[in-house]
Amino acid sequence: MTDLIWIVPLLPFIGFLINGIGRNILGKPLIGIIGSGVVFVSFLLSCCLFSHVYDARQAGGDGAFTVPIFEWISAGKLSVGLSFMLDPLSSIMLLIVTGIGFLIHVYSIGYMSHDPGFGKFFSYLNLFIFFMLLLVLGSNYIVMFIGWEGVGLCSYLLIGFWYKNEAYAGAAKKAFVMNRIGDLGFLIAVFLIFTTFGSFEFSSIFPQAAGRVSGDGTLLLITLLLFVAATGKSAQIPLFTWLPDAMAGPTPVSALIHAATMVTAGIYMIARSNILFTLAPVTLQIVAGIGIATALLAAAIALTQNDIKKVLAYSTVSQLGYMFLGLGVGAFTGAFFHVLTHAFFKALLFLGAGSVIHAMSDEQDMRSMGGLKKKLPITYITMLIGTIAISGIPPLSGFFSKDEILAHAFVQNKVLWVLGFIGALFTAFYMFRMLFLTFFGEFRGSKEQAHHLHESPGSMTFPLIVLAILAAFGGLLNIPAALGGGEWLAHYLEPVFAASTAKTGEFHLEHGTEYALMAASGIAAIIMAIWAYGTYVSKKTVPVADGAERSLLSRLSYHKFYIDEIYDALIVRPLNKLSVFLYKVIDRAGIDGLVNGLGRTAEESGKGIRLLQSGNVGFYIFMMVVGVIALLVYGLIKI
Amino acid sequence: METVVTNLQGVPINHYILFCSIIFAIGVIGVLIRRNVIVIMMSVELMLNSVNLLLAAFSAYKGDASGQVFVFFVMALAAAEVAVGLAIIVMVYRNTRSVDINALSRLKW
Amino acid sequence: MSAIITLSLLAVLLLYLGLFKAKKALLPVSLLGLLAAIVLYSIQWDTDAEPLYSGMVLFDHFAVAFSILSLFITGLVFLLSRDYFDSISEHVAEYYALIIFSLTGALLVVSFHNLAMLFIGIEIMSVALYILVGIRKRDFSSNEAALKYFLMGAFSTGFLLFGITLIYGATGSFDLTEIKNYLIANPHSISPLFYSGILLLIIGLSFKVGAAPFHFWTPDVYEGAPILITTFMSTVVKTAAFAGFLRLFLTCFVPLQDFWAPVLLVITVLTLFIGNISALAQQSFKRMLAYSSISHAGYMLFGILSIGAASAGAIFVYSAAYSIASVVAFAVLILVKRSRGSEHFEAFNGLAAKNPYLAFTLSVAMLSLAGIPLTAGFVGKFMMFSGVLANYHIVLLLLAVLNAAMGIYYYFRVIVAMYFRPADREEVTVNANYKAVLFIGALLTIAIGIFPSLLAGWL
Repeated sequence: MTDLIWIVPLLPFIGFLINGIGRNILGKPLIGIIGSGVVFVSFLLSCCLFSHVYDARQAGGDGAFTVPIFEWISAGKLSVGLSFMLDPLSSIMLLIVTGIGFLIHVYSIGYMSHDPGFGKFFSYLNLFIFFMLLLVLGSNYIVMFIGWEGVGLCSYLLIGFWYKNEAYAGAAKKAFVMNRIGDLGFLIAVFLIFTTFGSFEFSSIFPQAAGRVSGDGTLLLITLLLFVAATGKSAQIPLFTWLPDAMAGPTPVSALIHAATMVTAGIYMIARSNILFTLAPVTLQIVAGIGIATALLAAAIALTQNDIKKVLAYSTVSQLGYMFLGLGVGAFTGAFFHVLTHAFFKALLFLGAGSVIHAMSDEQDMRSMGGLKKKLPITYITMLIGTIAISGIPPLSGFFSKDEILAHAFVQNKVLWVLGFIGALFTAFYMFRMLFLTFFGEFRGSKEQAHHLHESPGSMTFPLIVLAILAAFGGLLNIPAALGGGEWLAHYLEPVFAASTAKTGEFHLEHGTEYALMAASGIAAIIMAIWAYGTYVSKKTVPVADGAERSLLSRLSYHKFYIDEIYDALIVRPLNKLSVFLYKVIDRAGIDGLVNGLGRTAEESGKGIRLLQSGNVGFYIFMMVVGVIALLVYGLIKI
Repeated sequence: METVVTNLQGVPINHYILFCSIIFAIGVIGVLIRRNVIVIMMSVELMLNSVNLLLAAFSAYKGDASGQVFVFFVMALAAAEVAVGLAIIVMVYRNTRSVDINALSRLKW
Repeated sequence: MSAIITLSLLAVLLLYLGLFKAKKALLPVSLLGLLAAIVLYSIQWDTDAEPLYSGMVLFDHFAVAFSILSLFITGLVFLLSRDYFDSISEHVAEYYALIIFSLTGALLVVSFHNLAMLFIGIEIMSVALYILVGIRKRDFSSNEAALKYFLMGAFSTGFLLFGITLIYGATGSFDLTEIKNYLIANPHSISPLFYSGILLLIIGLSFKVGAAPFHFWTPDVYEGAPILITTFMSTVVKTAAFAGFLRLFLTCFVPLQDFWAPVLLVITVLTLFIGNISALAQQSFKRMLAYSSISHAGYMLFGILSIGAASAGAIFVYSAAYSIASVVAFAVLILVKRSRGSEHFEAFNGLAAKNPYLAFTLSVAMLSLAGIPLTAGFVGKFMMFSGVLANYHIVLLLLAVLNAAMGIYYYFRVIVAMYFRPADREEVTVNANYKAVLFIGALLTIAIGIFPSLLAGWL
């Protein structure tokens, strides 16, 4: 069975070739069928592979299979094989990538149906799936790196898909540059790993690493570099600003690449290398710190965004921050669990947003929406489920995964927990704000848009429904023991994290405390939802245009309850100011400025250095003679 | 032949090295400071000939003929190079009416 | 050796063909000759290599592998020459003959076993090139490029010769084995002449490979020369020069690594930064490729810097990957220039919409030059970098990786132009030869990327 693993990535690649070559010859229906069909077959195969691993786990084995495909580079002691590794971790990722990938392919058939670049879009999408599968399945860092680079490339191509818009092309370039900064870290880390352990294979590196002492200097360096790579790919501080801009791509791309799969590659990679990180506690602390900082920062920015996709983008950055927090506090299973549930509900939310945008004739500003729930009932219900799930309201999936991360954070460091809790409050608020602004109240768009409003076709609502079911019940996969659950996922993944668990010891938390934490976060999320309802539905607040001061709140004060004004002055306004400040100063000016600045410095110095090439032979010869003299002086000193 | 070799060996080898290095350096300086392409070519010839002289001297000291054979190679190739070089200069002169290297700075940056 | 003789005769034959106005026969005859040479080399592969002609040349695996590579790339360049030379000059036969002469020089450079052969090879290679660069007699930039190349080339030859002479003065021989024996016999009393000789040889060879600060000729000459000649120079000539450089240092100078490695280190770092940073600011695709070739020289210098058993293989794979990708890039440039009359990045705008396959092959070439995985360029960089790392030059590796990232920026500019910039343009017509070369180039780039053992096993 595992011998056939190579077919899983090969199929999307064949799809890429067929769609790429035949994009002008084949008709749109055929392209759609081929594009989604290959991914669907991959998904079926992945299911078989998963059940294979599952059986092995049931039988008590560790469920890990390494399947060499062929020897790739062999020169001296350097030997790299293209080989795949199937284990509990990769088997689940396989299901996510192919399963959600398939749904999004189906969705794209409807979403992109009017686009002239239909065939190109599907070929890119298939290529993306291929590289993502390489990343997930690779049994060594080189194959992983190939996938890592490949998904970056596809993401670049897809963000710039509507390249006729200059800003979109700019967004694509930014994503690429930021990803490259991360990739540098990856590449150097891989070379360091090779010099340290003499191999690229996971199966040879991790046991060797497990024998080292905690706090080893080399491991610290390696893990820091790997983390730099992860910050690029998974949009963490300081390399997160590309992700909101990446929303320039078509919405299915945002759902697939920038929410469900590619951006979680960093978490996957760290979870894969968990033993290296466990032995580098300093790095883990940095991971946790960056994770929580990103989670809070992005959540704070999301509070005031008006573009529906931007809200979701910042929300993704923030949720990724939670995953890193989970990794940082040693909740590897929790972090991965959150990857899984996040893939469900965030893909759902993006696709729902896409459905809304489609219905609104490409309008993305929530201020022009409102009252859509009657016109788009399926979209509304599914998005409601997604919103509840991400806000962490029980018993939907997000509650369980976020709770597990926060519980670990609580044990490790109370401050992290408090910050995480605040972030969760923000999350619930901005998500319900988005939901209410979009679906409740009066319609605020133009007449034409109102006339055109319609529920999306079946190919778009079907994935929404499937994802909504997954988002609703995905949490059942890992019900904590405190709630009488079997922690199925944790048991299933046990061998992957066994070495780390052996170092850190079992995680332990009193059931009473756990109940209290769960209750706190659940109730707080509901309160935030109600608050958002009060603000955006009862009081019909609509965010004002960017330039104007937010004095609208005071003009609406005849609705006032006295307490509102206190809240307003003490919390809402500072928070709004902070949110706008963070967005403008840190996101736009600070980080973008820094990255752009680096690029500009390089380019400016290029302009400077190329002036050396004056075109004058006399000068060239002079420079050569200077070089000669320098060399001869060196010789004189050295001899 | 024998007497030539003995005569050559009468001068210490370091003198040859120093002398040839100086001629070579004069050639380099000529290339560096002159602007006329023809003169630059002559300076390059000076560099090559200083090398030839040094080769001959080493050859005489080592009692090894290969150095002198090498001199012939150098001469032959220098001649070929000069032929090609002059042709290029003539071609440039036809187009620009100048043999000043400062006139050549259209290709830059 | 029979291959080199065949080629020399071939060149003479080509001149006669030109004399008798048999223009149609030039290309087939040249290709046949190259093929014959490749076959003659392949036969030599399994025989035990002994220095031939009193130790003048040695056709070991190193020499044969690099020779076949040079012949193959020259073959690709010839395939591109249909319609190209005819359009810029009436003396087509001279083109073919001069390229073959230059190639003969290159083959001598990769198989020398005596410094005399190194010198003669380099000169045969260069003198033919001086003419080729300036072959468009009425074109001012071609003139300028030729004169610049000639003046600086002759100047650098002086240093090379002086270096050879000093080595001779110290060891009493031009033979590589003798020189090596001298070093082994006198490990502690090496003449200062020898050290100076090494430095001067480094200068001369750095000039030929285009390493900073002796690289100044490269961008101007590459820009001024006809595109196909630039292609030949930046692939075959560069490969041969590197092979010669490596052969000399690998056979003779390894024991003195402590002495010359710091020099090369500085040269390498300078070359990398100057090449990459200047390439960032270019507006012309051709000139960008010229600077990129400087930066690639920097990467290849790593192979010499971390000299050892693996360097030959690394440089071989790297130069093969680089040469193939460059041929593809220049081929597309010729086509684009023919249809748009410009070498700027803007000329590539919207190419993907009208000529998707052309755009695709160029993208593959650019990805390979940038060193993206699954292309040959990645394998080359990978082997080169791991060689560097094996010698624990961590900082150097860091710089190299940083430069590789910079490279991606400018290589992607053309991809961005082709795919993401709309433009009204005509479809570029591509004749069969170009199609063949582009296809072979893209195929090999990907094939080597996926199965590096195709090449890595050679050396």
